[in-house]
Amino acid sequence: MSLLFRYKVVAVPHPVVTLGGRWSRPRPILPLAVIGPANTAAVDGYLDTGADDTVFSERLAARIGLDLTNAPQGQLTTAMLANAPVRYAQVLLRVTDGKEQREWPAWVGFTPAKLQSPLLGFAGFLQFFTATFRGDREEIELTVNNLYPGT
Amino acid sequence: MMNTNGERLEPPDLRHYEENRSKFPLEELAKHWGKHVAFSPDGTRIVASGATEEELEAALVAAGIPFNQVVFSYVDGPDVSRI
Repeated sequence: MSLLFRYKVVAVPHPVVTLGGRWSRPRPILPLAVIGPANTAAVDGYLDTGADDTVFSERLAARIGLDLTNAPQGQLTTAMLANAPVRYAQVLLRVTDGKEQREWPAWVGFTPAKLQSPLLGFAGFLQFFTATFRGDREEIELTVNNLYPGT
Repeated sequence: MMNTNGERLEPPDLRHYEENRSKFPLEELAKHWGKHVAFSPDGTRIVASGATEEELEAALVAAGIPFNQVVFSYVDGPDVSRI
């Protein structure tokens, strides 16, 4: 069994030169739930094979009641070369494509930087799946691997 | 993860989100270019939006919609190429 997600398409007001003049862009976005100590939050996350960590905004940490006061800290750098602090905590992540559901504990980061979308990177997310990005079909298939710690 | 009553905290039911969100009308999304938005858990409606995450939270509060009953998302601007 595996999870199957469609790329989410956004229309643009002009042809995209790099996509042969297409008037939209497909993006590897999928929904997930973040389960914290006091509450839960659902978000659209951006699958990013170039991201080391899975990172959410600190506002999401507040929404799920996660106290980051004594959390391990680090730094992240973005493609825009901006540095930002990040604090790490363990949460439960849950994904479903409507047919299959997976839930697992994950160490993820929370940053005060202005994140447009949560980044679903290697640690906490992609490390636990074999991910197939089908560019022709604009879909992603996720199959749990032998590191997957959840249900 | 449990609440103070020892009850399991359940996220919203997202079983229909992926299917409906994938079919969400592009012209409707275009109304929210460059904004943070909140989708209904079934992915059929945008129930609030804001220029920032803070503004989106304020809009949800004003509408009386609990944060844990929506899906937070972001609609990229029309001229943005993500790298």
